Amino acid sequence: MGALQKLFIIFAVLAIFVGYRLNNLLQPSPPPKLEEKWWGRGDPAGEDKSIRTFKVHVADEVLKDLKYRLSHARPFTPPLEGIQQQYGMNTNLLKEIVDFWTTKYNWREREKLFNQYPQYLTSIQGLDIHYIHVKPKATNLKVVPLLMLHGWPGSVREFFDVIPLLTTPQTDKNFVFEVIVAAIPGYGFSQPAVRPGLSPAHAAMIFKNLMKRLGFDRFYIQGGDFGAIILQNLAVLYPEVVLGFHSNMCTVHTPLSYLKTMVGAVWPTLFTKAEHVERVYPLWESFVHRLRETGYLHLQATKPDTLGVALNDSPVGLAAYILEKFTTGTNISHQSREDGGLKQYYDYADLLDNVMLYWITGSMPTAVRLYSETFNKNFMSLGTGRMPVQVPSACARFRNDFYTSDGLLKEIFPNLLHLSDHEGGHFAAFQVPDVFSRDVFVAIEKFENFNSNLGAKT
Amino acid sequence: MSYACLIVTAIVVIILLKLVNKIRNLFKIPAVPYLEETWWGPRDKSEEDDSIKPFTINISDEVIEDLQHRLKKARPFIPPLEGIQQQYGLNTNLLNKIVEFWRTEYNWKERETFLNKFPQFVVSVQGLRLHYIHVKPENPEGRKVLPLLLLHGWPGSVREFYDIIPMLTTPRPGCNFVFEVIAPSLPGYGFSEAAVRPGLGAIQAALLFKNLMIKLGFPKFYIQGGDWGAIIIHHMGTLFPEQILGLHSNMCSVNSLKSNIKLFFYSFWPTLLVSPEHVHKIYPRLAKLANLVLETGYMHLQATKPDTVGVALNDSPVGLAAYIIEKFITWTNPAWKELEDGGLTKKYTYTALLDNVMIYWITNSITTSMRLYAETMSAANRTLQVDSIPVTVPTAAARFTYDLTYSPTVLLKEKFQNIVHASDYDAGHFAAFEEPKILSDDIFTAVEKMELFHKNQHSS
Repeated sequence: MGALQKLFIIFAVLAIFVGYRLNNLLQPSPPPKLEEKWWGRGDPAGEDKSIRTFKVHVADEVLKDLKYRLSHARPFTPPLEGIQQQYGMNTNLLKEIVDFWTTKYNWREREKLFNQYPQYLTSIQGLDIHYIHVKPKATNLKVVPLLMLHGWPGSVREFFDVIPLLTTPQTDKNFVFEVIVAAIPGYGFSQPAVRPGLSPAHAAMIFKNLMKRLGFDRFYIQGGDFGAIILQNLAVLYPEVVLGFHSNMCTVHTPLSYLKTMVGAVWPTLFTKAEHVERVYPLWESFVHRLRETGYLHLQATKPDTLGVALNDSPVGLAAYILEKFTTGTNISHQSREDGGLKQYYDYADLLDNVMLYWITGSMPTAVRLYSETFNKNFMSLGTGRMPVQVPSACARFRNDFYTSDGLLKEIFPNLLHLSDHEGGHFAAFQVPDVFSRDVFVAIEKFENFNSNLGAKT
Repeated sequence: MSYACLIVTAIVVIILLKLVNKIRNLFKIPAVPYLEETWWGPRDKSEEDDSIKPFTINISDEVIEDLQHRLKKARPFIPPLEGIQQQYGLNTNLLNKIVEFWRTEYNWKERETFLNKFPQFVVSVQGLRLHYIHVKPENPEGRKVLPLLLLHGWPGSVREFYDIIPMLTTPRPGCNFVFEVIAPSLPGYGFSEAAVRPGLGAIQAALLFKNLMIKLGFPKFYIQGGDWGAIIIHHMGTLFPEQILGLHSNMCSVNSLKSNIKLFFYSFWPTLLVSPEHVHKIYPRLAKLANLVLETGYMHLQATKPDTVGVALNDSPVGLAAYIIEKFITWTNPAWKELEDGGLTKKYTYTALLDNVMIYWITNSITTSMRLYAETMSAANRTLQVDSIPVTVPTAAARFTYDLTYSPTVLLKEKFQNIVHASDYDAGHFAAFEEPKILSDDIFTAVEKMELFHKNQHSS
């Protein structure tokens, strides 16, 4: 056979191979069916399915112990000369926060703040799930149920300013929300699984079952960070219960989207709005930025139990680890500020409320396990992250958070009824509750119109 | 041919030529960089005391009482998930055992005496007070005394060398030389001061240790290391060939574009690259790379946010122990990940492991130790491209099966162009700590060849 013929055959084989792969890229698979698993101890037959009221009350010993640890924290290693947050949490900043924590932060008062909302516990698949449930005051408006989920290193605390806004009628909207803010299993007061496998897909099932327990056959969902990931799984696995999905972290991870992103390097505006091109390209810079900010993810996805020990034994260590995310996660440019930009957008007391939630429940070690349960073959081979969300969807993009281009969103969100861009960072509900709540109202209004046109009954 | 064809051909040829140049640049060997003698320490140059001072570890009772209190009050650990041993990280049932031992049986005063058994010193180099052990052979019995710089890595310390030092400094029958050992603590580790300004990566550490050896009166010397120690000595071989008599590394590796391309092609016929018993150490590539991803989370975090994670690790002794001891499981033998007790007692004692942890704890050095990752992997250091510059001094590669990566001699030769001795052993990453006899035997054998090399150089 001549060289030319050999080349032709090689090309033909390559073309067929690529075509076959592209075909696979373009065709979504049907959502998998998950087995309902028992995640706790004890006998499933004896599960207490009642809904119990709950109030946060921390024992005096815990507070005394915390105070002791804070005032006996080993001296911090000073930052290198001329460095702000580039090597991680600046310990001069940390000192200021710990001083506040030790001298001004009053837990008993914060506890009252926590308990201002009605809270409950109920056992789902063997795990006590903690949630806040706030109904609007008596109203003539239509009341729609909304399940909201936090992420890591956040908690239900992130939604405290948003809850009153969502449960208060707006002058221009003919509906108002009944809000259920739940804690992910292994976070805060929600019990952790005792056996491996509680991935975002299984967490989605737990929350579907939670809402069913509360009497909601269909409901709206809202989430960011892991909350968005879990609820995206919920929308893919159980579209029949989801009236609409609002996410402030819409991400697309299909092979086709990677291809599009790379093609966009040559022609940026093909898939990305002109004014947003700088958020994606140059690709190398985005890649390096992501690499610099995902060390925690890599470690938590592989050795969560190793890391968890120190974080659960040192409150200053826990605070440093969590609050670092509130510096760069709010705005990457805060890396060059010795104050980390924290005081500009948050109160130390509010930030510490979130840290306290991890400390008093000892839940950081189980919280970080969620990364291992997510970034592994078992969950990723389910492919739920690559399946389209058919329910009405809304993506709220906050400028300093992860960004997904318009042209990519359609792959996962073919029914995208609302796409908005706002100033703000990763912790949107926490940082800009007004803008956040307003966007939720606007989006759900579009969902409501869509659903009523469909003749859907809520 | 039509004009259109001519133009297209011309364009294609120009693009190809441009590409050839780009490709050639990828394989070009960079020049040895000039390194600034940066002043790393907190004090003024004018007030720095240059003298060599003897050093003894003497930890106050308060530190030990505080440690005991923290161990006693350690918050309860979260139990491992059902059916899991070390796959999610250090198993907390194992950690409970270790901490119990630490609290009730580990005797610091005894260990302090043990750690002080070798003569130790501190001397200021480029503004940093560097700690080092210096052991001369007691009775050389007429043998030639060769200076040997021994460098540890992370999360290790000079403790790793306590068994091998006597082996290296004791004369052997049939061998006409013996070693005088200098084993420092890396800057920012243990009893060595840490830099107060950014920039002290592995390359700069190489300069620091060259200067240390010159200060101690050794214009030429041998060097040995594993982990960061290996990386630093490789740079010393590259940067200061005049001073380095020979380099013995138990973590020789090459990760260039060329070697990776070769690895890909050899995957179709592995036995062309290595003998059959070594194939499983390199292939399948994807599985090896997947395992690397599994084991490098700590590296990723430390190369980017060392100061963040350092706070917790320096404040919680149980947390520090978990973080450090996990490596002694997975890097000694990955099969130990399936054991609830982590397999540690097969090769180590809890006492020895805790000696190492204590060095980090009593010196508050965990954060500064981790900064070495960020400094070395910084853009500034990577652009120097020292990794791509060959090492021409006599080199010995001791490869350990269960170490993180395996590089066959054929590929090593691209960077290490004067390999006089290469061997394979079935042990792990912490070679000196785990198998001191195997490593010391290998060092003697290698240096014998290197001495011969120098003798031949002189006579020719």
